[in-house]
Amino acid sequence: MKLLLKVFLSTLPINLVHAAEGQKSAGLPQMDISTFPSQLFWLVITFSLLYLFMWKFVIPKLGATIEERRDKISNDINDADDLNKEATDILKKYDEQMVNASQESNEIITNSKKAMLDHLEMLKKENEEKVNSLISESQAKIKAQEEKSKIEIRNATLDTVKTIVSRYIENIPSDEEINKKLN
Amino acid sequence: MAADNPIDPIHQFEISKIADIQLGGIDISFTNSSLFMVFALAATMALFVIGLSKKSIIPNRMQMLSELSYNFIANMLRDQVGDQGRAYFPFIFSLFMFIFFCNFIGLIPYTFTVTSHLIVTFAFAGLIFIAVTIIGFLKNGLGYLRIFYPSGIPIFLAPLIVPIEIISYLSKPISLSVRLCANMLAGHSILKIFAGFTVMLGFLGFAPLVFLVVLYALETLIAALQAYIFTILTCIYLNDALHPDH
Repeated sequence: MKLLLKVFLSTLPINLVHAAEGQKSAGLPQMDISTFPSQLFWLVITFSLLYLFMWKFVIPKLGATIEERRDKISNDINDADDLNKEATDILKKYDEQMVNASQESNEIITNSKKAMLDHLEMLKKENEEKVNSLISESQAKIKAQEEKSKIEIRNATLDTVKTIVSRYIENIPSDEEINKKLN
Repeated sequence: MAADNPIDPIHQFEISKIADIQLGGIDISFTNSSLFMVFALAATMALFVIGLSKKSIIPNRMQMLSELSYNFIANMLRDQVGDQGRAYFPFIFSLFMFIFFCNFIGLIPYTFTVTSHLIVTFAFAGLIFIAVTIIGFLKNGLGYLRIFYPSGIPIFLAPLIVPIEIISYLSKPISLSVRLCANMLAGHSILKIFAGFTVMLGFLGFAPLVFLVVLYALETLIAALQAYIFTILTCIYLNDALHPDH
């Protein structure tokens, strides 16, 4: 079995067997006990230094940095939440104000409309009154003029009749007589 | 001979001394392995020093990267263990970063993979095993022994279940360390073998080269995945120690 292994290994390009049979009889360097104290000694030194370095320097510092970041992030999130709340409140207020303002403006619009209409109505009435009074005045004037012209016409007629009658007869009729005849 | 062979797949795992240091008769030389441990440490430090140099609310890339790794491990620990695991976070985080960078630096050609040595992974696994056992007994007292006898099992099965549970508990550090080490060892060896094929076959080398590229992508995935698996298993063992009831 050992021979078989030797034959197999000797076929490899790398002469493992000869290497193992080299200067040290122990074969693998891992099995060389004489190097153990040195390895252990330096392992203890380097690893202790690393442990101290980690324990005293890296972990407190890194832990603090990570903690700080976590705090900062949570604080920022809280701040953002607060600001968000504030913004929502402001928006609510704004909406309320908008509703109030639109109501107010509607009121103002209806009021001014009403006032305008009232004013218009008043003006109309005033004008109507004025027109009516003017009409009645002018009607009265017309009537007076009519009366006057009636009398004038009668007088003119009387005069005309007197003139015509005096041409044909000496006897000049009185006004009463003419009026009686005319009527 | 091994050193002469340019495509010896095992050569990359050899440990060579850079500075010879002896302490009380024990060889603690600064080796290439030690150098790459220092590199992994430096890489981790560089990532976090640069990433944390300019702390800002909106992170730049490096900060993003460091925070990403932090959150990744923190979430893993929270999901697996819960809030009780918070105390072990520095260890779990260091463990992940160290293994992650060791695995990744090892993927660069001509580098050394620290985690390909069983002693390193076993040191981690053994430490975790001992620590988890101690934590288990400290938090639960003798009640921690319940993990060897899961609830809802008939008493007559206990002689069968309890030894199995004990063996599986004791094999945890072995499986944990061997998994990581073997993955690194095998992956890097295969990469080296196919790189050797590519060189040796000359013009025809493009075929293994294509395979090498695909394999390299796979190894990159494995480097991250094994670091993740090692860490999440540590979390699971920790959870078992803290909550042995389920």
